[in-house]
Amino acid sequence: MNTENNTVTENDLHAYIDGFLDEKRHADVEAWLAENPDAADEVRQWRNHAEGLRTLFAAYAHAEDDDRDLIATSAKNARFLPRWLPAAAAGLALFIAGAATGIFGQQLLARPPLQQTAFALTDLPAQAKSAFLIYTSEVRHPVEVGADQEAHLVSWLGKRLDYKLRAPDLKAQGFHLIGGRLLPVSGKAGAMLMYEDDSGKRLTVLIGRNPDNAETSFRFASAGSLETFYWIDGEIGYAVTGEITRQNLQEIAEECYRQFES
Amino acid sequence: MKTEPFEEQVLSLLPLLRRYSRSLARSDADGEDLLQDCVEKVLVRRAQWRGGSLRSWAFTIMTNLYRDGYRRQKLHPPVELTDETAPQDSATEPGDPLEKQRLNQAVNALSPDYRTVLMLVVVEGYSYQEVADTLGVPIGTVMSRLSRARRQMAEHLSRSNIVPLRRPK
Repeated sequence: MNTENNTVTENDLHAYIDGFLDEKRHADVEAWLAENPDAADEVRQWRNHAEGLRTLFAAYAHAEDDDRDLIATSAKNARFLPRWLPAAAAGLALFIAGAATGIFGQQLLARPPLQQTAFALTDLPAQAKSAFLIYTSEVRHPVEVGADQEAHLVSWLGKRLDYKLRAPDLKAQGFHLIGGRLLPVSGKAGAMLMYEDDSGKRLTVLIGRNPDNAETSFRFASAGSLETFYWIDGEIGYAVTGEITRQNLQEIAEECYRQFES
Repeated sequence: MKTEPFEEQVLSLLPLLRRYSRSLARSDADGEDLLQDCVEKVLVRRAQWRGGSLRSWAFTIMTNLYRDGYRRQKLHPPVELTDETAPQDSATEPGDPLEKQRLNQAVNALSPDYRTVLMLVVVEGYSYQEVADTLGVPIGTVMSRLSRARRQMAEHLSRSNIVPLRRPK
């Protein structure tokens, strides 16, 4: 760091904010800032932002109840993963390993609940959109259980949701099921089903439980090129999300609605 | 459940890893995914740990996962859900929720390299030399990234005083 008393470099200003200056240098910079109000303004802003960021993320530095499960699950995954096994096969191997022992299958597939924080998404369409964006772009593990095990998939997710789940058949609309996963919806166990058409275009159906909501409605929301149709039927909320035209998506949502109701 | 000493150490590191993963990620869900990927990788590679600070080693793994993940994610950048991501129960959150949201949007606008340096310095309290070691770059690079990160944050925040609301059609 610069040790000339009269020269204060930008690096000195950063070190001043970040608390890396010794007492003498700190005082030098302080004196210099008193004579340079523009720089002082900038430094004040940077320091406020730093404090804001520390506060913003401080809430995450805590242990969670299922941390031990996270370690145990990851450790088992790690053990079942032979070094030579190509990455692409790893997910499948883990699933088979989990299913074979039958003991930690659930643990392996379950993701720990997300914490409720300042920017937790609490409404269904926003959650459906973020689930779509996160999982449809996954190359290796877009789903936890594939469509080849559809019966297992729906009974497993249905059990977690405490609801007789079925995967809508959307072949007439050009989409086939690729699989599904368990994920938190409004802090409770929810399900996501993923479909794909022949060109590889994907759409998701999110199903969540919300005992607080007894309203029934059918709505539409869009964000950028992403469209979502969602409806709430008693305690269950549904959201169909895709990067397809609104007309196509509406047709698919109506088909899902029809099949879920029957 | 029986855990090994190494796993106990990782367990005790989880709160710090959780904060770091969330400070890099764009959402809670992404942060949780990054954390899980990192823990798994740390356990898979435990034989490669040469002693020393387990935290530094795990943070390096997390940083690399974040950069790899970001490259892939660029194909499907998250959509800004301006009116739907607004914090819901502002009464229970400490601090001004709108301010938090603006800050969150400003860090989300940073490139991953700038964001990593800013978070390591500001949130994790790393020295500039420790950041250089973690990222494997010269300290001059750390300083210029820190400078750009701070200026971009300030610029973003100065022009985003008004949060636009976009209603679903």
